[in-house]
Amino acid sequence: MSGPAPPSTRPKRQVAPAYRIVAIPAAFALGSVGAIAAEHAGLPWVVGAIAGAVAAVLGVLALPSIPTRRATVVILGLGGLAALRHSSFAGADRSWLLLLWAVATMLTLVLVDRADAETVPALAGGTPLRNRLPETARVGAVIAVVVAVAAVALVPTVTERLGRHVWPGQQPGESDQLNAPSSLQSTTELSLTSRPRLSNAVVFTVDAAHADFWRGETFDKYYGSSWSNSDAENPRLLLHGDGTDVQVPPAPYDIGAQTGVEFRQTFHLEAGFSDVLFAAPSPRVVETDKLLNERSDGTLRVAPQSGSDFGKGAVYTVTSRSNPVTEDTLRAADRAAVPAAIADFYARRPGTTDRVIALGRSITARSPTTFDKVQAIEAWLGANTQYSLNAPLSPPGVDVVDDFLFNSHLGWCEQIASSLVVLARSSGIPARLVTGFAPGARDALTGRFVVRERDAHAWAEVYFPGIGWQGFDPTASVPLAGDAKPGGSWLTDARRNAVPLAIAGALGMLIVVAGPQVLAALRRRRARRASWSASALHRLERAGRKAGRVRVPAETPREYAVALAQRIGDDRLVGVGDTLDAALYSANGVSETDRTNADAVLTSL
Amino acid sequence: MSVKPTPDPGGRGPGTALRGGAPGHQGPGDLTLTSIVLFTLGAYGVAAGAATGQEAVVAVGVFAFTLFGLGIVWPVWSLARLDVTAVAPTDATVGDSIELRIKVTGRAARVDIRALDPAGTWWSTAAPSEGRLPHTATRRGVFRSVRIQLRSSAPLGVFVRTRTIRVALPAPIVVAPRPSVAPAVLQPIPDERVSSGSPLLVRGGGDTVRAVRPYSPGDPARLVHWPSSARRGEIVVREHEPPPALGIALVVDLRGTIPEVAASLAAGIGTATLAAGGVVWCGTCENGEPVGELVVDARDLGRRLARATPGAPAEAPHQWPAEVVHG
Repeated sequence: MSGPAPPSTRPKRQVAPAYRIVAIPAAFALGSVGAIAAEHAGLPWVVGAIAGAVAAVLGVLALPSIPTRRATVVILGLGGLAALRHSSFAGADRSWLLLLWAVATMLTLVLVDRADAETVPALAGGTPLRNRLPETARVGAVIAVVVAVAAVALVPTVTERLGRHVWPGQQPGESDQLNAPSSLQSTTELSLTSRPRLSNAVVFTVDAAHADFWRGETFDKYYGSSWSNSDAENPRLLLHGDGTDVQVPPAPYDIGAQTGVEFRQTFHLEAGFSDVLFAAPSPRVVETDKLLNERSDGTLRVAPQSGSDFGKGAVYTVTSRSNPVTEDTLRAADRAAVPAAIADFYARRPGTTDRVIALGRSITARSPTTFDKVQAIEAWLGANTQYSLNAPLSPPGVDVVDDFLFNSHLGWCEQIASSLVVLARSSGIPARLVTGFAPGARDALTGRFVVRERDAHAWAEVYFPGIGWQGFDPTASVPLAGDAKPGGSWLTDARRNAVPLAIAGALGMLIVVAGPQVLAALRRRRARRASWSASALHRLERAGRKAGRVRVPAETPREYAVALAQRIGDDRLVGVGDTLDAALYSANGVSETDRTNADAVLTSL
Repeated sequence: MSVKPTPDPGGRGPGTALRGGAPGHQGPGDLTLTSIVLFTLGAYGVAAGAATGQEAVVAVGVFAFTLFGLGIVWPVWSLARLDVTAVAPTDATVGDSIELRIKVTGRAARVDIRALDPAGTWWSTAAPSEGRLPHTATRRGVFRSVRIQLRSSAPLGVFVRTRTIRVALPAPIVVAPRPSVAPAVLQPIPDERVSSGSPLLVRGGGDTVRAVRPYSPGDPARLVHWPSSARRGEIVVREHEPPPALGIALVVDLRGTIPEVAASLAAGIGTATLAAGGVVWCGTCENGEPVGELVVDARDLGRRLARATPGAPAEAPHQWPAEVVHG
């Protein structure tokens, strides 16, 4: 015999109401890391944010078979792993998303624990739990301050002391080398008739105290449509000295490299391949697992004897030396003579057209010093040429600098910097072309300079006797060595300004924690001022507290006054109770005399 | 006469024989799943961040570690600042649910509280607080303190801190054994001390007529002894001897293996006898000293049995019918 199935007697499990609010911060937590992950994967960040938020809400609310607390903690754990994975993503500055993740995670933990507490039955007659949201806000503020202090105190220290400054990274494959931008591949010849690839792809990030040009290679011979390096075929092999340290001998006559101020930078390669070692001028010590080749101009690249070049994830640290300079010191440098070896090599007449030579001499004719001459050339270029990545390429067989200066007047960094070098040499100034990368944008959270393909750059270096090679960028006003303000991450900045931040934080905490109580006290005080009965009752209660007899909530003012009269032994309080009752509940109120008498009694207490 | 009670299969020796409920947590606290997740994230973040020199990864790790540390320190610090006082009723019987009046001083946004021995249900409150904590009396005896347990994982749920406090009671709670079902024992007691000192004037008391006396206003008419009244020419009434007392001398010897069962049996016999109008004398051992006294009422019997400890009990009074209950 079969019949209709009996209705299930098993109750449907549901998420307890106290837990439902947990879904909101959990959605923010997972949504924020989802946004970062989506951007990392090349998707719109909104897609990742929505996916993360939906996953969190479903995880908290739609899995009744799993205890909500456990489901929430697992979700937060996954969010944390995603945050760890993607916090290192050197993409757009999404620091605020990481902060949002941290705040949302913390609030989720607080709320889920609070929800747990609400499932425990209340103690009969006990003080009920305070309102959920004010308590969460108060606790969250305290935790946020503690976390901020810990982060400021510990993160820079941990990173600095425990951080590895050398890491081999991945082994670059053939495709990595083929796909790598040309600016990451060492070359003996730089063509000025091809357009560079300038994408948004991150090539490397740099941990450094301040911004600088990340110099790659230099070129000294100009052939009209290209540059070459005359020492490219005879590099010197540099071996490891102490551990991973490779000592780099200073280039001849590079005074800054010998006596300058140390500047340490750690490069983290994001691109798949590089055989050029980038560094702020002038590198003296390189911490790396690779053997290096050094040209006479100071250019460094990975030696073939290393077995492999830098691959993705490779880390190397460079300590450079350079002299901080001012306009005055550069002007004063002309008092000394340029070494013959430098002048013969870098100041000889360039292979260009006569009218370029004539232009260079005319531009610098009225300038008394080398520095002023270079400034004059920069000013002339600024006034007569325009920067454009869409500038037409010079026709074959035509001098690129001549074409740029007299015909197109449009060019990018390579044409502009080449023009400065050629014009400077026309006036007998030793100069050379440098390729590398501009400093890049500083990530607000990590403090790293994020360098992309589009930051590939060319600029000029001019030799100053007694100082060495100094960079000049006629293309854009990027800071030069020694001019940049000290940089660093939020955390480093916060540590630098710890005292004012601590004061501000303490004030903020005071407002958050004590604010509601102060407001409530002010409201009570205002109410007391507004009515005599409230004020008198407050004074009576205060007297009772001093006598060790607190008014219970169910006690009327008169009952309390009578009880207090017995405890203190002052029968006048009974009259005060009568007056208070009349003031509170009588339609006729109380006379001024009764009030005065009651006030007198209360004052005497 | 000697009574040997049947052993209670649930008996587990003195002090634990009738204990029930879930075992109480005695440790300082427990780490939760949250703590494992945060510690893992923190360790991984700091290690990975330090390895690669990536400050953002280190920051995530430090964030997780800070929450982990804060989640442990906060509840420990919070509970350390709390204190508890308690007031209990003075009398109870094993198995009764009683209410402890609890006062928690100090400040805490939320704290769970329960009584131990046996571990009861958790109740939540904020501190300071006053409330009533249900508790089950599960052991016979005189208790001058109770164990109260506080618990908190606030605010992050990383670490469930538990703190056990032994709270001294202002007045001890006396927990009597729960009387087992037993018949009343009513035997004549040849002891004038427990008989009524005044002659009973009611029929149904003693059968023996002690004397006659002149009638006094208020004497019941049925007591008038008409033959004597006729002989003496005045109305006289009968006076009867008081009836002999009935009851039992309970000798409670708890030196056996099942003292709680014996105490319950003694309570059952005594309570039934008292309820039947009998007299009960109870001989026990209290703190190594034999103690024997007449029992006033059932509460007095319960208190006597609550104080009873293993040892040689007092001997029954001379000529009293004795019921010896062995434990």
